[in-house]
This record gives sequence, structure tokens and C-alpha cells, in this order.
Amino acid sequence: MSATALFADVERMLKVCAPGATVRLATHSRVIQYKDKTYRSLPKFDRIELGHIRKMSRVLEILECAKRQIPGL
Amino acid sequence: MSEMTHHPLLFTLRDAVSGKGFLAGITLSGRALMVQEDGKWWTYGVRPGAIAESGSTPQESFARFRNRYKEVLFDIADESRTFAAFKREVERFANEVDKEEERSWNDALQLVRASSGPPPEPFSQLDRMKAEEAPPKVTVEKLSAAKRKFTPKDNLKDTVAKAA
Repeated sequence: MSATALFADVERMLKVCAPGATVRLATHSRVIQYKDKTYRSLPKFDRIELGHIRKMSRVLEILECAKRQIPGL
Repeated sequence: MSEMTHHPLLFTLRDAVSGKGFLAGITLSGRALMVQEDGKWWTYGVRPGAIAESGSTPQESFARFRNRYKEVLFDIADESRTFAAFKREVERFANEVDKEEERSWNDALQLVRASSGPPPEPFSQLDRMKAEEAPPKVTVEKLSAAKRKFTPKDNLKDTVAKAA
């Protein structure tokens, strides 16, 4: 089992680091939109592996801020 | 960055996806970086950049990456009212770059090229392919077009290779 964070913590992080970002549920994944970026492959689980959060944060260009919000990222 | 833990991959995937009133064929030649993090193998998309998956082995990680990519295509099909909208969103997704990942991929490629020995298992079992011979590319075709002819030559197996 690799390191994870609760999706609720990801939502809190997005409010701080990507204000105005939207999260919606597609059939297979969560879709996060922020500014002109779309991340459409975040798993729909309650706990998300940090690698997914790291990847999403890089794509949304908020990684440094996200690291301050989610321990271990 | 260690040569032993960062592996630049090239892959080609072909899918047929049903949408609202159309059948689409998608062929993606892409790039990914495989690394060990948090005790697992991670396949991080470079092109497309907005996708990642993990596994307990490199093979499992890539298989799950491949499946997640397919799920992205299915989600886009769900949300697209027309073939044109589907094609536009698949192309946008496939061409979205993670610039930091791309830098890491290029650094890993330079280490592969500077190394005199073979890559570690299981990467040594992969074909080696010059990165310049496999540029990132996506094509989205409407297979359900009236005059479209289908032949077995259209079939293409999944391939994954170590970038060299």
C-alpha cells in the first residue's frame, strides 16, 4: 500500500491552491478543471494515492502550494 | 535522478470507442516515465501528460495506466454529443503536456544513452526504440463513416518500448 490522502483533503488543498477549480464525477474518474487545464483521470476513491495527487498538481501547475497543504506530497 | 529508477518509455495504443452515434478509432503514440515512488511503480504520462497509474510491478503499473487511458476515452465518449466534439477533446487530452515530466523524461533518456550496460530487469526485455523515430502523435478517425472499408491490416497491437 503506497501513501495516500483523503479526497476531502485534496478538495481542501484545491480551495487554497486552485481557487475556482471545479470537480465533477465522470463515469470512470473525477474531472478537475482549473483555468485552462483539465485533469480527467483522478480516481473516484475516498483515499487517493499521492502519485495521482502529485501528477494532478503538476498538470494544474500548483505543485509547490499543494506540497504545503498535503504532508508527504 | 538515478538511471536505475527512471525509465523513459514509448508506447503505441489503438482503441475503438463507441460514442453517441459513431464508432471512433484512436491511435496514440505516446511517452511515459516509469519510476519507483512510495514503494510502488508509477507510470507517469508525459504525452499525454494528465494521467498516471501505479502497480506493484512495472508490468502491472503499465497495464493499469493503459486501462486508465481507456477509461478516459470512455468518459470523453460519454460527454461528447458528436464525433467532432469527441475528436477535439481526445486531441486536447493527448496533446496536454506536463512540462516538468517531460524534462524528467528527457533527463532519463540522456542517462539511458550515456549508460554502457543493459537496463535492469524487466526493462531489458523491452524493445529499444530511438525516441526521434516515435514522435508523440494522436489520430482520431470516424470508423463508422459510410464508405469506410475495414481490413485486418487495420489491426495494431499495443506496443511499449524503452526509449533509446
